[in-house]
Amino acid sequence: MTVESKQNKLGAGVGFERIRRITGYLVGTMDKWNDAKKAEERDRVKHSIAK
Amino acid sequence: MIQMIIKRDGRIVPYDREKIALAVLRAMKASGEGTVADAARVAEAVESALESRCGAEPPQIEVIQDMVEQELMHHEFTNTAKSYIIYRATRTRARESRTTLMKTIDEIASKDAKLSDLKRENGNIDGDTAMGAMLQIGAAGAKAYNEAYLLRPEHAKAQREGDIHIHDFDFYALTTTCTQIDIIRLFKDGFSTGHGFLREPQSIQSYAALAAIAIQSNQNDQHGGQSIPNFDYGMALGVAKTFRSQFRKKLTDVVADHLDDDEVEAQVAKAIEMTEVSFGQNALEPAEGFDGALTRHLYEVLGIESDVAAHLVARARRRAETQTERDTYQAMEGFVHNLNTMHSRAGAQTPFSSINYGTDTTPEGRMVIRNVLLALDAGLGHGETCIFPIHIFKVKEGVNYNEGDPNYDLFRLSCKVSAKRLFPNYVFLDSPYNLKYYVPGRPETEVATMGCRTRVLGNVYDPTQEISYSRGNLSFTSINLPRLALESKGDEALFLKKLDDMLELVAQQLLDRFEIQAKKRVYNYPFLMGQGVWLDSDKLGPYDEVREVLKHGTLSIGFIGLAETLTALYGKNHAEDPAMQEKGLEIIGRMRKFCDDKSQEMKMNFTLLATPAEGLSGRFTRLDRQRYGRIPGVTDREYYTNSFHVPVWYPIGAYEKIHIEAPYHALCNAGHISYVELDGDTAKNVEAFEQIVRCMHDEGIGYGSINHPVDRDPICGYVGVIGDTCPRCGRREGEAISEERMQELIKKFPQIKAFVGIE
Repeated sequence: MTVESKQNKLGAGVGFERIRRITGYLVGTMDKWNDAKKAEERDRVKHSIAK
Repeated sequence: MIQMIIKRDGRIVPYDREKIALAVLRAMKASGEGTVADAARVAEAVESALESRCGAEPPQIEVIQDMVEQELMHHEFTNTAKSYIIYRATRTRARESRTTLMKTIDEIASKDAKLSDLKRENGNIDGDTAMGAMLQIGAAGAKAYNEAYLLRPEHAKAQREGDIHIHDFDFYALTTTCTQIDIIRLFKDGFSTGHGFLREPQSIQSYAALAAIAIQSNQNDQHGGQSIPNFDYGMALGVAKTFRSQFRKKLTDVVADHLDDDEVEAQVAKAIEMTEVSFGQNALEPAEGFDGALTRHLYEVLGIESDVAAHLVARARRRAETQTERDTYQAMEGFVHNLNTMHSRAGAQTPFSSINYGTDTTPEGRMVIRNVLLALDAGLGHGETCIFPIHIFKVKEGVNYNEGDPNYDLFRLSCKVSAKRLFPNYVFLDSPYNLKYYVPGRPETEVATMGCRTRVLGNVYDPTQEISYSRGNLSFTSINLPRLALESKGDEALFLKKLDDMLELVAQQLLDRFEIQAKKRVYNYPFLMGQGVWLDSDKLGPYDEVREVLKHGTLSIGFIGLAETLTALYGKNHAEDPAMQEKGLEIIGRMRKFCDDKSQEMKMNFTLLATPAEGLSGRFTRLDRQRYGRIPGVTDREYYTNSFHVPVWYPIGAYEKIHIEAPYHALCNAGHISYVELDGDTAKNVEAFEQIVRCMHDEGIGYGSINHPVDRDPICGYVGVIGDTCPRCGRREGEAISEERMQELIKKFPQIKAFVGIE
């Protein structure tokens, strides 16, 4: 094991996975989203369930 | 006297009048006027015009072409002049697209996807891999060709300038979008993948394996996703087969133990066979009296006393049930894993796959639904959330919606799973526009969706087959609605006029494409048509044109940005003002009416789509901002709002959002979806989650899903909401933990096998 991958094993340089829905289907992480969709995801507000 | 001319690339070559005459003659032939002598006359006139203009200087090719246009007009070959101008424009476009194409390929080949938005246009393709990049290069080449050679100039212009978006344009010349695969029909008597023949499956494991193969095979014939509309009904047949064979095995075992005789298999089989002759096939819930009869037959065949035989039968039944349940779980787990790891389209993609289920109330069907939900809940090998398939739970009153309905428990389970894993989504059979097709006992009349949203149910082409099975979308093109509004500058009548024109333009373009698709033959779609997956394709031979059967599919007109459109026209969107909701429904209703009228006129299925906005939302907005500047509520964000949605940034309650969006579901018959965004804590509250699904049902939503954050730390395996720091191991994004801490975590959470890392 290289020094680098040993460090990775402990988390150095390793991000969190954030699974989100694009258009009905999910995408494993947002790395592969296009810029407009990333902006759209960033702008999403939560909807309250108070009646 | 002209001796030489300058070509486009700068080379100087000898002048040849004959070449001009030939080009003129070609244009004349295309427009059906003029003779060889006429062409020579025009060429001569061009030559003298060139001489007087350029003298001894070699003229540029563009100048010569200008002169040709001019002289054609002078000689009153007006139609020829027109066709020559169009020919020139087409050639220019082809040349330009070649240059652009090379630049595009350069970007695909040399840039990292992180830095290239182009390479992330489709979130499911990894542009950094060899096969992914090859796919993107092929797509770029196909797009350039399609635009230059296949589109009418007015369609090419609309596409290029962002008035419309022709989806899956790279596949324009090749195939259709998607299909709902009826696996019951496909599996009957087996099928061929093109690489080998597969026999009709005999156990739930092989049913599930073949379902994955069917999705993979069909995906290679089409450019969109693949869906199974009857996952529960289909897999239930596999469960039944597994149960029957397990029961026979278990009964043989217990009888062998009881009699201390290993050679009883044939007699046990005989006893079961005798019972099945009078009571029908053994099943999880066999016909009443089945076990009693079997008990008697065991006495007749093997002389086992009836009280003992009854015990043996009961024990075998119990064990077979447990084993079948276990097998079903493993089959479902395998299916889900398969669909997340199998590759298609030259390895660059995981198949876009969807499965619909929820309404099969047989014990076998229920076993399928329960276990596929449990497999989804468990996640992949390290607990990762499954990306595929999209699970779609069919909600129906009297079947699973209310307490006391036979599958209500499974509906509840689905809410619990979706609250953790984002799937299933929900499709609502009771919404009036779905209910009107629903015939109890005929599952093919139940609405099913292609996970992204595509819905195919009505059938103008063949009203006797208004079903969801074996059909799908052929192609779809979306209209940039905000553009029309911006161009109209608040003039409603002008906007509607522009909208009508644009609808006509798109309908024509869809028909043009249909013509290309319809000319294909069965052998062009070896699985889809060759294996009879598509409706009525089993009636065709390998060399037959697919034209007529394709008409079961839909041609869909989509739209994006209703919210921005309303703001551009009237200053507010449909969530901000009830009057705007009325305007919104008028606009979308008008589009739907156009589709309905067009369907009747052509006897084909034109439908209205609430476009998913992944690839085009940014492009339209970028182009419109260049043209019209930054307009608040219209072009001031990087994207246009998805179809008829309330904008994602607009603060609104979940119930109100559903109430506003539901009426558009009724209008968008090609497909629709509404989302509700919950924070992580609310999503964990299954009661609250179910209440939202119920609200969707009651409001007449067609298809909906609930979004909530699902994060995972690959270092410690935590799944849930992660803010800045991971609640389990405490690290920040990109930060390392100490080796000691890692050792502690490994001890504390032994189920975490190893570092998973980023894929």
